[in-house]
Amino acid sequence: MWIVSAGADPRPPMAAMPFRPLTIIAKDPGLRIGGKNGPMAFAQVDVAAEKLAKGPIGYRIKVVDYNATDRVTYQDMQDYEDAQKQPVDPFAPREGETWMSPAYQARLIGDPNFHAQNAYAIAMRTLWQFEHALGRRVRWSFGGHQLHIAPHAFAQANAFYSEPDRTLMFGYFRNAKGQPIYTALSHDIVAHETTHALLDGLRTHYTEPSMPDQAALHEGFADIVALFSVFSIRQVVAAAIGEDGTYARDDTKVALVNASKLTPEKLKQSMFMGIGAQFGRALNETGDLRHSVLRTPADFESEMGDEHDRGELIVAILTQTFVTLWHKRIAALGKFGRKYNLTMVVEEGAKLAQQLLTMCIRGIDYCPPTDIDFGQFIAGVLTCDREVAPDDSLFNYREVLRDTAAAYGVRPPADQCDAEGCWKPFVAKQPPLSYMRSNFDAMTRDKDELFRFLWENRDEFAISTRAYTEVVSIDAAHRTGPDGINLCETICQYSQRVDLYGAETEAVLGFVRPPEIGHQSRCTAFGGGVLILDQYGQVKYHIGNPLKGGQRQFDRLVHLAETGELDGRNRIGAMRFALCHMDRMGA
Amino acid sequence: MPATASAPAAPVSATLFAYQVGFGDCFLLRFTYANDTRRHILIDFGTTGLTLKSPKDQMLRIANDVKEKCGGKLDVVVATHRHADHISGFATNKGKGSGDVIAALTPDRVLQPWTEAPDAAVDSLGPEVGGKGFSARRSALRQMHKTARLAVQTIDSGKFEMSPALAGELRFIGEDNLSNKSAVTNLMTMGENVYVYHGCDPGLGDFLPGIEVTVLGPPTLNQTDTIRKQRSRDADEFWQLAPRRFAEAGGVGTGAKLFPDAPTFDLRLAEVRWVADRIDKAQGEMMLGLVRALDAQMNNTSVILLFKAGSKSLLFPGDAQLENWRYALSTKLADKLAEVDLYKVGHHGSLNATPKSMWNRFTKRGKADKPDRLTSVMSTRDDKHGSVGAGTEVPRSKLVTDLEAQSKLVDTRDLPEEELCSVVEIDLR
Repeated sequence: MWIVSAGADPRPPMAAMPFRPLTIIAKDPGLRIGGKNGPMAFAQVDVAAEKLAKGPIGYRIKVVDYNATDRVTYQDMQDYEDAQKQPVDPFAPREGETWMSPAYQARLIGDPNFHAQNAYAIAMRTLWQFEHALGRRVRWSFGGHQLHIAPHAFAQANAFYSEPDRTLMFGYFRNAKGQPIYTALSHDIVAHETTHALLDGLRTHYTEPSMPDQAALHEGFADIVALFSVFSIRQVVAAAIGEDGTYARDDTKVALVNASKLTPEKLKQSMFMGIGAQFGRALNETGDLRHSVLRTPADFESEMGDEHDRGELIVAILTQTFVTLWHKRIAALGKFGRKYNLTMVVEEGAKLAQQLLTMCIRGIDYCPPTDIDFGQFIAGVLTCDREVAPDDSLFNYREVLRDTAAAYGVRPPADQCDAEGCWKPFVAKQPPLSYMRSNFDAMTRDKDELFRFLWENRDEFAISTRAYTEVVSIDAAHRTGPDGINLCETICQYSQRVDLYGAETEAVLGFVRPPEIGHQSRCTAFGGGVLILDQYGQVKYHIGNPLKGGQRQFDRLVHLAETGELDGRNRIGAMRFALCHMDRMGA
Repeated sequence: MPATASAPAAPVSATLFAYQVGFGDCFLLRFTYANDTRRHILIDFGTTGLTLKSPKDQMLRIANDVKEKCGGKLDVVVATHRHADHISGFATNKGKGSGDVIAALTPDRVLQPWTEAPDAAVDSLGPEVGGKGFSARRSALRQMHKTARLAVQTIDSGKFEMSPALAGELRFIGEDNLSNKSAVTNLMTMGENVYVYHGCDPGLGDFLPGIEVTVLGPPTLNQTDTIRKQRSRDADEFWQLAPRRFAEAGGVGTGAKLFPDAPTFDLRLAEVRWVADRIDKAQGEMMLGLVRALDAQMNNTSVILLFKAGSKSLLFPGDAQLENWRYALSTKLADKLAEVDLYKVGHHGSLNATPKSMWNRFTKRGKADKPDRLTSVMSTRDDKHGSVGAGTEVPRSKLVTDLEAQSKLVDTRDLPEEELCSVVEIDLR
């Protein structure tokens, strides 16, 4: 995506430019070009153009470089525009420097302002991925416009998203040699944490205590975004794969790569399929923090680990799907003897990663707003993709994804999905739905109007009157229909919450209280759904988990009782991700 | 009374002395046989906070009382794990400490978790325990103590703005995890050591005749791995690095600034103040999270013992929490929990140490009129650990309510000031 050379041509005035170039560390400081002692992979990438204040502070990100351990705030000494109001990349190589030169790289690593800008740029690129996939602005869950980023928050081997603090906090620590390791310099970690914030904006109830899959999806999804978004930095992927000679004819010169490097096994082993290389090495000296693509279905059979462990299952499914499809697409390319055109190999990977990433992000719109599990996530991704691209015959993306998920024991819920693993369309039990008291136009933007529609049809949507119900969001989704005409559909998300005693589970949630839950135990249960309204305002899909969910609610509350989270006090909101990540470090 | 070869096959009664150690554990378990011979087992002896009314020499008084009650001879000592509130009483002091008194009672066997075994004893633990994992664990234990010391130093340094509640909890947990070298050494030398793990034979048949002793925990690394892949070894690796990390986080390390030459604001400007305050708070909470993890790690090395004598079963789980229990509950040995008659409440009444999945197996729970009703014995003190607001207070009021409703609860907090211990008599016939 948008690689800009260092010596780019003069650009139009900033107001007319959609993007501006900024320098970042691609992937992770642990990714070295040409071997472990090689240079780091710096790249200049395009970021949404905006008028930045010192920080940098933009319209969605506010960098606050406060260090709680040293008790100082680092001053931003950089200028992001020149005297002519043209955007400036303050960390592009200066005269005499190159991207690879040790002095240049050392200068940037030693400058807190570069760390701040690196985190800003990666967070903005991650935001762009979401907005580009969904075709709309994505909100932060806390309601404000700017998410704080603290790139050197404290001397702790941790980085996390805190919703109550409206902040991504990135820690640093020293490795065995006493060298500082900065989590804010890792593309993987910054993209991962930003994704937590973005997913929280799309599905705010996914941070509530639930079955392991829900928290695991948060972690796994964040890894998926971090992994796939790196493929857009094509030159870095190409450098990581490495060139094996060139083909030259007339004026054409093509970089080549040996086919032996592109087997599924070799692709899985590659460094860009892992997460947090430098962090992982500094922590345990065994390599990447996670390398989920190498995990087999058997690895998860008896797993009882934390959210990241469980999250690796969904990452393994998506990355295995990626490797299978990438290999398939490479095989379709022309060969030069036993070699491939490196640029085309990388291009195929970049296209594929972008497509899978877009599928995953769009799929969230088709997922229940509460108590999600992996099978439902896969159903959401498959359904949304079929809506957008009914013809899947070229590379069979959906079939590969569905089969890979099944190999890991993850299947869309059979009773709610069709043979292709997609959600069944909504069919009213006692048609027709009542539209009489609802105004369609208002329903597409007014929460009260939509709530009225829900309330009038509460029996059809299994909305319990014993819970507090609210419309969480209404969003427009644009796509091109099979006839080439643009369609506008509406995604409406509603949720239900009820606080109850154990004695009330049968009446409210539809299951007999198990012995694990005392009759006087206080607990909270959630329900909710997504309505997809077609261009005529008719309900096309109703995807949800009802409050009176019987077995699903039973399993959830028993799990929470077992883990001491029944009363919701075991995990402190602000520290939820912090403590989860600390657990991951083995504590 | 010392053991004799003529001891009968099974004891007829048991007496449990639950000593007043404030926040800590000290239990003397006596088995009496038909011919009046007795066997004595001391299970833990430590405190991290005596009651405000206890005299300063309370631990010595308790040691002398133990000496008197056992007739100058202990058969078995059990140190469930190395937290101060379980072993501080074993510390010696030039022949005059409470630990010196206990050592003079020449226990025949000293039971401790396998994690305490010196390197030379690794082979005796059976093939399940690999030498590498074992030495990593021992090394990790040392590093954990170091981390605890740093936690206390951090509070003492006064460098951080922390709420009194947060600082208090950090200090409490830190102090409980400090190394107690004197007590550890005493336990290694006062009698023949037995290092136990889930399912092993503790070899106490000659010393406790007619009594079946089942070891339910702690699990070995391999056992743990069968339910939870890999994490245990990772945990040990983590603790190797923890002290340095904690020193950095707490600002008690090298003191080197991260960017010594970078231009900075020493004051908090208006535009950063809102979020800087929150980062400070998060920093403190993470430190607390780290020492809490340390505390849980130590608790989960606890020995869990089940004594079956005559018709009764007595359960002593130390401070074992869910992670320790999880393996035991997945095995056949867990069936024995159904018959528990006396339960030493885990971890002074914290909710995590009485997992529902364990508690629900006790079939003798029930209302006051239930025949052969379960007895629970809790040694604890209020206001030392956790907070009501955060739902982490120890003892947890919700658990105490359950214990009172479903068992006969003996609580050291109810002991009159002049009493040294509660006494529970158990008819084993």
